[in-house]
Amino acid sequence: MEHLKKQFQDTVAVADVTYTLHSGVYGLLGANGAGKTTLMRMICTLLQPTQGRITFGGKDIFEMGGTYRRILGYLPQNFGYYPDFTVQDYLMYIASIKGIRPAVAKKRVKELLAQVGMEEMKGRKMKRCSGGMRRRVGIAQAMLNDPAILVLDEPTAGLDPNERIRFRNLIAELAADRLVLLSTHIVSDVEYIANEILLMQDGKIAHSGTVSELADAVTERAWSCLVPQSMVASMERQYQISNMKTVQGGVELRILSGEQPCSSAVLEPLTLEDIFLCYTQTRPEDKEAAEGGRRHGKV
Amino acid sequence: MVKYEIKKVFSRTSSKVALLFLLALLLFVSNAAVNAGIYADETGENRSGIAAARGRMEQKRQWAGTLDTERIQEVIRKNSELVAEQDAVSTEDVKKNNQIFHKKIGFLDIRQMLIYSFNDFNGYDYYLPDKLSPEDAAEFYPNRVKHLEEWLELKENEEQFSENEKTFLVEKYEELETPIQYEPADGWGNMFELMPMLIMITMLALGFLVAGIFSSEFQWKANAVLYSSYYGRSKAVSAKIKAGLLIVTVIYWAEVLLYSAIVLGVYGLDGMNCVIQISYWKSFYNITYGELYFLTIFGGYVGTVFLMLLCMLVSAKSKSAVVAVIVPFVLLFLPEFLRDALQGKVFNLIKGMLPDQLLQVNMIVRYFNLYEIGGRITGAVELLFPVYIVLSVLLCPVLYFVYKRAEVK
Repeated sequence: MEHLKKQFQDTVAVADVTYTLHSGVYGLLGANGAGKTTLMRMICTLLQPTQGRITFGGKDIFEMGGTYRRILGYLPQNFGYYPDFTVQDYLMYIASIKGIRPAVAKKRVKELLAQVGMEEMKGRKMKRCSGGMRRRVGIAQAMLNDPAILVLDEPTAGLDPNERIRFRNLIAELAADRLVLLSTHIVSDVEYIANEILLMQDGKIAHSGTVSELADAVTERAWSCLVPQSMVASMERQYQISNMKTVQGGVELRILSGEQPCSSAVLEPLTLEDIFLCYTQTRPEDKEAAEGGRRHGKV
Repeated sequence: MVKYEIKKVFSRTSSKVALLFLLALLLFVSNAAVNAGIYADETGENRSGIAAARGRMEQKRQWAGTLDTERIQEVIRKNSELVAEQDAVSTEDVKKNNQIFHKKIGFLDIRQMLIYSFNDFNGYDYYLPDKLSPEDAAEFYPNRVKHLEEWLELKENEEQFSENEKTFLVEKYEELETPIQYEPADGWGNMFELMPMLIMITMLALGFLVAGIFSSEFQWKANAVLYSSYYGRSKAVSAKIKAGLLIVTVIYWAEVLLYSAIVLGVYGLDGMNCVIQISYWKSFYNITYGELYFLTIFGGYVGTVFLMLLCMLVSAKSKSAVVAVIVPFVLLFLPEFLRDALQGKVFNLIKGMLPDQLLQVNMIVRYFNLYEIGGRITGAVELLFPVYIVLSVLLCPVLYFVYKRAEVK
């Protein structure tokens, strides 16, 4: 991706993204509206960039057209389906638009249905499948052409914890020898399966690297401490709180800070969720400065 | 791919309802066409249904042959006899009146032509043939041209027709080979009466079937997977167009041919090689019922294909089946909308070239919609076919590119 930009009227959804992706699993993290879906849609040739270009093997993917889409698998965030098609019909149809010959498609559909655990549901209409089942069909359709590039936009959204874990394992299983770009706002999903994390903020890839690289780059550490209820408000003003839990004797806080917030605070290992918060959340001092500015008539 | 596109269409409940509706329409229209017209047997009993249709045809076949002066005289004479016979019978005596009507049925078509021939061009006196004498028969054919010429000379037609157009119409009238061959064409006539209704309603129902072909992916949010697929912006789009055309073609022809087979199966093919002036005395199209039948059904097909392609284009552009399905309705009723805005010759010229005209070719052969192109005068029928065939052919690539280039936002 070279200086990639996408603008919708006055809104810049993706701003000047330059990045090279290789084989492996990339986790695309970002708050809602950070530009993840727009970036993925451009990678899938669904949206034309306003500026910049995306190349594959040195060639512009929009000029490659079908040749590029032949090696692409995509599971969109709002995965649409044909409600009155059976699972088998749906996959056979997608196989046909992916240019897979019917005889090959039949075999491939059978294999994938077994892999996603939907073999016994192949005759069921899509509209009668649960959300989790549909997602599994969704991943199967994305895998039909054995793609070199697999783009998964929020694949675990709306799934119950069991389905999510199952789905996560499935993605990890399918990720071998291909480029997988996985977007989510459920941080723990990518923590387990991604080799590299791309943090998107305001349309840009603000930070990238492995979990440990990202952790090393932040100055904050994770601290855990038990404080009385009366202190919570002042701690919130002073520090970035990544979690709080009311327990007997007070409130257990998980604080992200470069220094020990209180004498009872115990150092904890940083999770990806903590790192994500460090990069994306406004720090208390910045928040205060912004509020102070507003009080003095500044924007 | 085409198979799955068709499957997508027919998996919708609205499509199944549309198909059932078309079946009901076919049965209703066929029944109405078979039962059109009245018949009384020789005992004076009213008959209906297939027996009546066949009885009527049997009576009329006795008058088949060359409609020369002698035959016209014979009709005038026989008609006068029956009028005299009828005058002697009380109007209360239904049975007796029916028995006389039974004797008239055989030459009713020829009597109808006498009404048109001996009335002024726009006049219609049903009882005029009853006042004719056999000597008048010689004027039967000359009257047709004479009354046209008189009508064209009227002040109201000065602006309506140019001198070239007037000459063209008179020449066309004179080109009709006389005496004409008469055969009862009840089957064709009754079939033609309801054919425009059948074609128009079939076209509107087809609109419900094809309107979703290009918008369903957007409606079901399945467009992202489609457009990111290998054939998503090429063969998959062609498959949609092919599926639409296939659905339109199969259903249109099934509806029209089944209707034709039912009606002609009852009435027979009599009259196929006779000129349409037997039913449409004033038409300047010198063609046979058989030729008019082919023009009507092919015109209906071309018009339906054009309107359905337009419907699919709107569906692709607006991404809404609801907006798309309105298109055929608007175009069908457009002449009514235009009536207030446009008047006179301009209105007639525009109205005559709207696609709805192709859905009723058997009606428009009665009208004097003339067009002058490069000094050559032509009727609307000769123009409508090439214009809408070319437009339909042009719409296919437009539809292809509009859908192919859509973005998923």
